[in-house]
Amino acid sequence: MIKLTNVSKRYPSGNLALDNVSLDIDKGEFVFIVGSSGAGKSTLMRLLLREETPTSGRVIVNGRNVGEMKRRDIPYFRRTLGVVFQDFRLIPTMNVYDNVAFALRATNVSNKDIRQRVPYILNLVGLQGKARSMPEQISGGEQQRVALARALVNNPDLILADEPTGNIDPELSYEIVELLTEINKVGTTIVMVTHEHELVAQFDHRIIQIEKGRLVADTGKIGGHNGRK
Amino acid sequence: MGGSSIGYLLREGARNIYANKQMSVAAIGVLVACMLLIGASIVFSFNANSFVGYVEAQNEVVVFLKDNLSDDRISEVEQQLKNTENVSAVRFISKEEGLNSWVQSMSGVAENSEELFAPLYEDNIMPDSFSVTIRDLSQLDATVQVLSDYDDVDYVRAPEQVAQTITIIKHAVNLGGAAIVLLLIGVASMIIANTIKITVFNRRKEISIMKYVGATDMFIRLPFIVEGLLLGLLSASVAFLLIWGLYSLLVHWLAGEGVGWLTFLTENLVPFGSMALPLMGCFLFVGVAIGTLGSIIFVRKYLKV
Repeated sequence: MIKLTNVSKRYPSGNLALDNVSLDIDKGEFVFIVGSSGAGKSTLMRLLLREETPTSGRVIVNGRNVGEMKRRDIPYFRRTLGVVFQDFRLIPTMNVYDNVAFALRATNVSNKDIRQRVPYILNLVGLQGKARSMPEQISGGEQQRVALARALVNNPDLILADEPTGNIDPELSYEIVELLTEINKVGTTIVMVTHEHELVAQFDHRIIQIEKGRLVADTGKIGGHNGRK
Repeated sequence: MGGSSIGYLLREGARNIYANKQMSVAAIGVLVACMLLIGASIVFSFNANSFVGYVEAQNEVVVFLKDNLSDDRISEVEQQLKNTENVSAVRFISKEEGLNSWVQSMSGVAENSEELFAPLYEDNIMPDSFSVTIRDLSQLDATVQVLSDYDDVDYVRAPEQVAQTITIIKHAVNLGGAAIVLLLIGVASMIIANTIKITVFNRRKEISIMKYVGATDMFIRLPFIVEGLLLGLLSASVAFLLIWGLYSLLVHWLAGEGVGWLTFLTENLVPFGSMALPLMGCFLFVGVAIGTLGSIIFVRKYLKV
């Protein structure tokens, strides 16, 4: 699913954000990527999203080499994955339903399918009663659920979550990871970047630690989808 | 792209205009103001041309004939004059009419003019002549040369000074009008481009989200293009109606005043219908073409995610 081979990323400023990183993430895994601020976690996410290309090495995501991908192929690649960000990135002028439907409309899904899939996904993340609410009318935790619904609605094989609990309180953070764990149970691969070690410790998922651009620890694949410890 | 997508794009364009009400109102305001200036220049140019055309039509070249020509010969010369290029009208002035007109023009010179000029009627020395109206005064010299060369034409009197002045004014109005309109279109383009730039900047977050969910560049651009197009259409319509209304008011006001030189102005005002097409064409070009192009150019900057 994800395979990094001797990947380094140096920015034009000269900063070496990733230094010869190699790792494998199989289909169906749930992986936490942890590390302190500036460790290279965000750069790793940007490479997986094909926001950046590696300076050296190979990055394979969902069977595609992102380093060699043509610009016009990027949208089709991104449709194979779902993304969740720390700041939710919802469109403030659209209600919950439209924020989720937006991901489908952007990929030319028919109105009929949109009408079927959006309510199903909103139900899955526990927001069935909030479809007509505007983002500012719901809590941070609920906003992140909307973002998660948007990431899920295209039925992706892989979800990349960049500090998805960074802007919500600990109790809700736990719920979000639990929700991600539920999604993982049906076979979706989850890669979640976080610096919240306490939160990570509550779940029985694989942990990869990055520090100063290097991979310093990897618990390896955890068997089954048992999730919570 | 399916029908649902096209419907979505149109709805999205309209929704964006509503969702970004303040920006949309500002954009329409700026566009309408620019278009009004452009429209005013066009209206002025059309009317200035009409006035100059009116003055031009008043020009008169007099072709004096040699003495003692037969009526048949005079008719032949008349036909020859009518067939001359750049001649729009020919009117025969008999020697009697010529003298009357001259005496009339001199009537203010002396108190006893009738008595003074009476001997002239006894032995009329005025030649027969033709009053010839020239179509294009800038070609006056060449036309006068042609007329002078005709058989039985004694000499030609032409208002060369007036013709030169009118030609200069006509060129100045045409060139000046075009330059002002072009300049205003340039200014309008810059203002519209800047407005779109701000609109796109305000929505860069939305654009980046679209990129992350796998929207193609064209899909992201289209609502902005539709928005630019709709704003352009809306502004063009508002500007057109405003200029129509304002022009009608002006015509009405001038007709109401109806005195002195204003009568001359009112009679020569170009009807709005004659200017409607170029005005609408110009407004649509400024609003739609620049609005659309601006959207294409400025969205590109935020597509690099």
